[in-house]
Amino acid sequence: MFDELKSMLTKIEADYADIRHETKKVTKIVFNGKELTEIGNNTTDGYVLRVLNHGGYASISFTDIDRHEDAIRTVLQNAHLMSKAVQQSVVFKKTPVIKDSHTPVLHEDPRDVTIEEKLQLTRKYNDIIMSTDKIATTNISYGELIRDKHFLSTDGTEIREELVTTRISGLITSRDGKLIQNVRVAAGGSNGLANLRNREADFEKRAGIAVDLLSAQPIEGGCHNVIVNQSLGGVFTHEAFGHFSEADIIENNRSMREKMKIGAKLGNDIVSITDDPTITDQLGHYHYDDEGVKAQRTPLLEHGVLVGHLHSRRTAASFEEPLNGHCVAEDYRYAPIIRMGTIFMEPGKNSFEELLSMLGDGYYLLDAKGGQTSGENFTFGAQYGFIVRNGKIGGMVRDINISGNLYSTLGNISAIANDLKYSQVGGCGKGQANIRSCYGTPHLLIEDLIIGGR
Amino acid sequence: MDQLLKLAKQQSDGVEVLSIEQNENSIKFEDRKLKDIQSTLQSGITLRLIKQGKIGFAYTKNLRNSNELIQHAMDSLKGGVAAEFNFPHTDNVPTLNSYDPGIEGIDNAKIVGECNRIYGFMQDKIEGQLNIGGGTAVTGIQIKNSSGTNLSSMSSNYYISVTILYPGSGTGIHRSLEFKNFKEVDDSFLNNLAELYKKGEKEFRTTGGRMKVLFMPEAMYTLVWRLQSATSGESLYNKQSPLADAIGKKIFDEKITIVNDPLNDERPDARAFDDEGVGCRKLLLIDKGVLRNYYYDLRYAAKMNAAPSGHGFKAARWSSDRISIKPTPALNHLSLASGNTEFWKLVGAMDRGIIVCGALGAHSGNIPNGDFSIGVSPGFYVENGEVVGRIKDAMVAGNIYAVMSRVIGIENAIHAAYTGYYPAVLFDEVNVATKN
Repeated sequence: MFDELKSMLTKIEADYADIRHETKKVTKIVFNGKELTEIGNNTTDGYVLRVLNHGGYASISFTDIDRHEDAIRTVLQNAHLMSKAVQQSVVFKKTPVIKDSHTPVLHEDPRDVTIEEKLQLTRKYNDIIMSTDKIATTNISYGELIRDKHFLSTDGTEIREELVTTRISGLITSRDGKLIQNVRVAAGGSNGLANLRNREADFEKRAGIAVDLLSAQPIEGGCHNVIVNQSLGGVFTHEAFGHFSEADIIENNRSMREKMKIGAKLGNDIVSITDDPTITDQLGHYHYDDEGVKAQRTPLLEHGVLVGHLHSRRTAASFEEPLNGHCVAEDYRYAPIIRMGTIFMEPGKNSFEELLSMLGDGYYLLDAKGGQTSGENFTFGAQYGFIVRNGKIGGMVRDINISGNLYSTLGNISAIANDLKYSQVGGCGKGQANIRSCYGTPHLLIEDLIIGGR
Repeated sequence: MDQLLKLAKQQSDGVEVLSIEQNENSIKFEDRKLKDIQSTLQSGITLRLIKQGKIGFAYTKNLRNSNELIQHAMDSLKGGVAAEFNFPHTDNVPTLNSYDPGIEGIDNAKIVGECNRIYGFMQDKIEGQLNIGGGTAVTGIQIKNSSGTNLSSMSSNYYISVTILYPGSGTGIHRSLEFKNFKEVDDSFLNNLAELYKKGEKEFRTTGGRMKVLFMPEAMYTLVWRLQSATSGESLYNKQSPLADAIGKKIFDEKITIVNDPLNDERPDARAFDDEGVGCRKLLLIDKGVLRNYYYDLRYAAKMNAAPSGHGFKAARWSSDRISIKPTPALNHLSLASGNTEFWKLVGAMDRGIIVCGALGAHSGNIPNGDFSIGVSPGFYVENGEVVGRIKDAMVAGNIYAVMSRVIGIENAIHAAYTGYYPAVLFDEVNVATKN
């Protein structure tokens, strides 16, 4: 493959160029209710070519190798157009030339397991859910994605890296008359199929929560003190803070760049946040990003003070900050953009019980249900929650969406528990999907959070 | 495609081959700086085959080996996914004017020039940061099946999107335009955007409660999304719809009429046939508040003993590759009928309320149940018919079957927005939560 890529790169006259080829093998098994609705293995592949010439930068993705000369011509034209149009030339920060190859350490390689056995496993979990009273339907799927990436640059870097992601996940829907409720269920990771086995109790528990939601009370809208669990805290860390540590988000946004300056005090002293794609056995683990830069642990917030940004080669040069290997593409359809790997909040000293006692009256909210940011504002859903009175967990509540401002919320995190936990499946949608986006926090006590109610 | 169809037919009872070819260019300016020029040259083929009542599915981006693709589809047959339908014979679909060959002559330099022209026009009108995106797409689709269907279509799309950010925030006013070919943005479009932006320059805090809420076209998808879920044949079959047995019943205010019209080729991306080779038709979903139709693909039409309605699309949400997903029931050509009230007269009708200019978290509520709970980003606070300022920290929540039954008025124009063409709609007594 490297020879084929080399022959293409030699046809490009530019200051810098890189090309990435990916083969993507997907195994998918889907149940809707009791019915199997999809099963199969498929393989696709494609190329992404990037060019930097005279300060102009452009990229193109293509799937048909017979069109590679069209692609080269187009990307060179676009880079030329950009070089004439930009006031400030695009510069890539220098990175060491690397020649390396990596395959992940897997606890049970999914390629060694037949699709029939994967079907059996998925069906077993689906049956556990469907046998629960008042469950209307499910959408449970097995997903396996194996990306074999070859990266070559005119600087001389040659990297092959394979990424393996597996999951069994989906939606459980309960129904009582016209009332419909749902919860999500997820098991997965980037370290092999073993993590998907022996999860019967987890699927049974999620089915029970879906049924319990039918008799839960709608949450009261307004401003409340809350404890959020690790999943919800992780989404906050990812959505509200993490995206603004991505330098391409703030690069050309005057006000956000000013607010996200290194040294800015953004949160309470107890809040420290790091992104680290090098943590093995976590979903967000990789060795090299899609610019051929080695992934690095990157402290972002230390005791409430901003200490780092996530960078591409382009933004690291423009911000005059170090590279950290966070420029990643979803697949061969996209040029890489800055993404989080495994972002997490450092654990605190309190137990969960101590947080409940500190909360007194409020809500305990659990499990993320999607999130979105716009500028410094965020909104995300919680799958369920509980009323807390005098530090005791009471009845279940539903219809929970919370909203807030990044900076005021970081300042309103008043206590952090000691029970850090990472997500097993991801799905960040910053233009491209990133199913390996991993996040985690301990339980967090947050004051004055807006809850939409119903 | 013909060779693949022939080979697959020898091994099965029914075959469908669909190919998609898409060439795209996108240009992004942020704060007057040209940030990105990206292009894609993507193609792919999907194969579905039916054998002994079971269906198999496979796809590839590069058809290097037909037998390998057929083998993948044959392998997927082993799972035993029931077919329950046959591939249709469709011919005589209307010829649509969905492709403007002039798009081929639009190079990226022209779009860059248009973005610079917009910057020039807006520079004295607003203080906020202006971000502009533009691009072109040419898409070719061809579908052939063993029942003799042989259909193809080409479409062209040019878009431009303009966002004005409020200083000190990453939120702003956003609106897009779509055409089949390049078209200069009208001065009135930009002036209206600037006028709306200026109304929200001042930040304002207020108390929550039940009040009038005006959904801008850019936020209407929040509500329509829940209706799409409830009227899909898939939701009906899975018992996830609160609208089962509601055909002919009044579910919304009589001012609400919603249609899905793939044949309207005045808009980009018109389609005469769906991604399963079923002829498309105009579908009246809501007629003066009354539910008139559900919509189906082949699979769920068979399951629900209904006629396929030509809504089986490879509807890619988020960034899914259309080639890799199977058709499901989808409404890709929606519009909500305009009313008879000018926009600022709708604002004038608000004694106290919120204008939702953008929604955050539309995807995270209980969609099957019709519930929504969104952050406003941005939202304006209105008192005595005048915009007082941009509201800080507010959420708007409700259930569409209650909220859309309390329509005060609908704007007399529709605008291209996410998932369709919508006017601004003013609703009464909607829950608003704020930090105060």
